[in-house]
Amino acid sequence: KGQYISPFHDIPIYADKVRYPCHLNMIATKDPLNPIKQDVKKGKLRYVANLFPYKGYIWNYGAIPQTWEDPGHSDKHTGCCGDNDPIDVCEIGSKVCARGEIIRVKVLGILAMIDEGETDWKVIAINVDDPDASNYNVKWFSLEKCQQGCVPLRALEEDPFFSHCKLEFLVTDFAVDIIKSTHDYWKALVTKKTDGKGISCMNTTVSESPFKCDPDAAKAIVDALPPPCESACTIPTDGKIYIPIMLYLWFLCLAYFTWHYVHQVHPCYI
Amino acid sequence: MRALLSLLRTGSGWRVGAPAAARLPQATSAGSGPRRAMALYRTEERGQLHSQDYRIFFKNVAGHYISPFHDIPLKVDSKKEENGIPTKKARNDESENLFNMVVEIPRWTNAKMEIATQEPLNPIKQDVKDGKPRFTPNIFPYKGFIWNYGALPQTWEDPHQKDKSTNCCGDNDPIDVCEIGSKVLSPGEVIHVKILGILALIDEGETDWKLIAINANDPEASKFHDIDDVRKFKPGYLEATINWLTYYKVPEGKPENKFAFNGEFKNKAFALEVIKSTHECWKAMLMKKCDRGAINCTNVQVCGSPFHCTPEKARSLVESVLTSSSNKESNIDDQVWHFLGK
Repeated sequence: KGQYISPFHDIPIYADKVRYPCHLNMIATKDPLNPIKQDVKKGKLRYVANLFPYKGYIWNYGAIPQTWEDPGHSDKHTGCCGDNDPIDVCEIGSKVCARGEIIRVKVLGILAMIDEGETDWKVIAINVDDPDASNYNVKWFSLEKCQQGCVPLRALEEDPFFSHCKLEFLVTDFAVDIIKSTHDYWKALVTKKTDGKGISCMNTTVSESPFKCDPDAAKAIVDALPPPCESACTIPTDGKIYIPIMLYLWFLCLAYFTWHYVHQVHPCYI
Repeated sequence: MRALLSLLRTGSGWRVGAPAAARLPQATSAGSGPRRAMALYRTEERGQLHSQDYRIFFKNVAGHYISPFHDIPLKVDSKKEENGIPTKKARNDESENLFNMVVEIPRWTNAKMEIATQEPLNPIKQDVKDGKPRFTPNIFPYKGFIWNYGALPQTWEDPHQKDKSTNCCGDNDPIDVCEIGSKVLSPGEVIHVKILGILALIDEGETDWKLIAINANDPEASKFHDIDDVRKFKPGYLEATINWLTYYKVPEGKPENKFAFNGEFKNKAFALEVIKSTHECWKAMLMKKCDRGAINCTNVQVCGSPFHCTPEKARSLVESVLTSSSNKESNIDDQVWHFLGK
């Protein structure tokens, strides 16, 4: 409809949003309508270093909307509190996505990263439109637990450069559980049951949220900002119409299947 | 002041207009040190990038078209600065071992640019494969080329001679350079490099030496003297080089490449010998002492070469190169990472 929305709160959880293909952008969780902006460190725009042999980010990187890693809760798996952000996604498909693109992803697993003492889950997923997507199914990765407390990001493939430190990738149903719990935290946030200090919960579509505002109010916020840049700032669309009901059914089937599966195998490694 | 001094100097080949050349656009500086006062070579692009008629032509400070293959000196003359003023005694003998490098492919890019050895004045162009501009695939975990890639001018790997180290004939090209410095360079740039070592790649059965070098202007250049310094200060880079060169043609359906000496990197002294012999092959070719095949040896500055031509003739050769309105070819494969397993 051409109305301004929040990518944090107004995009349904079942369509994942790509935050940034290479630069260190992020959803501005503290700004009204949560636009994407570039992170700033010590007053300067932040760029991630190129860690040989990698160049920039090694996946398309983004977040699942309508999720929140609550800093007020200590995660029972990691023992650390959430990082106050939506849950992160490393999308491993072959296409380099664009900043601000919304794509649908198939969840494959999850990595329990502890970044500077905060829980910072990394969902491993693949674009459902990837030509190889049908080859990626629920997989069981099981490696030795990393001895160190701080678990840096790793490539999904076995990486000879980091063979001294092995990590755990947990099966899809576990990933789905973690995602669901961060969705619950978000619901509590946006319905004001939890105090999200500093987080802007302004939205235009969450009917049970006291932070819901009408599209005109949203427009007024954006209009008060500097005008749009002259170069094309349009967000690419894939031309496909998002069908929430079908995706929800797909998600239910996946959830049922993985629930059924997990009861036949030994429990997750921790 | 400097302009005045260059006017007074004779016999250096520098023109009065030289200082102005430094302010012209697309200047390619070959500075070796913080003073990059003069640009020795300029480039001129024609055609659309990534189309089949894209070319980068080279010009010297006098504004004459030159060949980057034949008219750029192999060795940097340590006895004078670029502006023709004699230096004080060189600080160390390493400045005697600086070479010019013509950059073809920037690090982290995929377009396979190369000196067009068979075209007059040998501009840089994009290699063509199956009728389309060629892009090197991304071999996971790498993106594009993992060094700035190019060639040493005035060298030639003779395809009629079997190299005694590799027992294979040369690949009919100038000798290749992998420049490991931290700055991403541009196609057509001419820089001074310090040679550190060499690798004997056998690419599809032909000898294809790969020099390992560092930009003399790199902030860390003073730490690098020989191949062991690369192991010390850039661990993993040489291993990644072997890995990359082994597999980079596999996604195109070619076999893995092999190396002489079991993939061992040879040191600077060995590299200098190989450079010397490829320089001799080039000299023989330019003096018509051997079969050049389809190589175009037209040059503007190699005195005594039967292929020498005047600057005016060179200009007319360049201007006769037609550029059609061919379209830019998009490269969707630029995004794909090839996982080949080890």
